[in-house]
Amino acid sequence: MREMTQQELADRVGVTRQTVIAIEQDKYSPSLETAFKVALVLGVPLEQCFQYDPRGKR
Amino acid sequence: MPTSLSYREKSLYASLAAELLVYGPYFFLHQQNSVNKVAGMIIAIIVLQMILQSIIAIVTRNRVTDERDRLIELRGYRAGYLTIASLMVLGLGMLWFHASVGHLRLDSRMMGLHFLNVFLGMLVIADITKTATQIVAYRRAL
Repeated sequence: MREMTQQELADRVGVTRQTVIAIEQDKYSPSLETAFKVALVLGVPLEQCFQYDPRGKR
Repeated sequence: MPTSLSYREKSLYASLAAELLVYGPYFFLHQQNSVNKVAGMIIAIIVLQMILQSIIAIVTRNRVTDERDRLIELRGYRAGYLTIASLMVLGLGMLWFHASVGHLRLDSRMMGLHFLNVFLGMLVIADITKTATQIVAYRRAL
C-alpha cells in the first residue's frame, strides 16, 4: 500500500491538514460524514479507522 | 509533530493584532475621546483588517475551511456572546447604582460620548474574547 501524506488525505477528504492531525492525536472527533470519507479514501472499513473506547474521554 | 498554521488561524492572529493595535491606543492612550476619534477608530479597524486579510489570502495557497473550523468559530461566538451579555448586565447594574445615588447627570453634554465609549468598550472586549477563544481552541487542537 502506498503511504499517503497528511496533506494528501486532507485534500481528498476535504478538510485541513490541521484537522487530520487533530483526529490522529485523538483531540477531535470528526463528524460521521468525515469519518466515512476518511475510511473511503484510505480504502479500509470504518471500524478499522475509528474505534470507540467507553473508558476513554471520547 | 510540528503543525503549520491554517488559513483560519493566520486570519485570527491578524484580526487579534489589528484589534489590539487599533483599540489599545484608543482606550488606553487617549484621555479625551471624541466622536471623530470613534469614527476614526472604526475606519482604521476596517482598513487594517482589509489589508491584513488580503495579504493572508494572497500568501496562503490552501484556503480550505472545514467542520472543525466552523465548530471553533461557534465556540468563539458563544464566548463573545457570554462576554457581552455579562458586561451588559454589569453595565446596567452600575448605571442603576449611579442613578440611584445621584452620581449620574443625564443633562451632561459628555454623557452621550461616555455611553458610546462604554458600549464600544463592551463590543471590543467581546470581540477580543471571541478571537482569543478561537485562537486558544486552535492551539489546543480544539
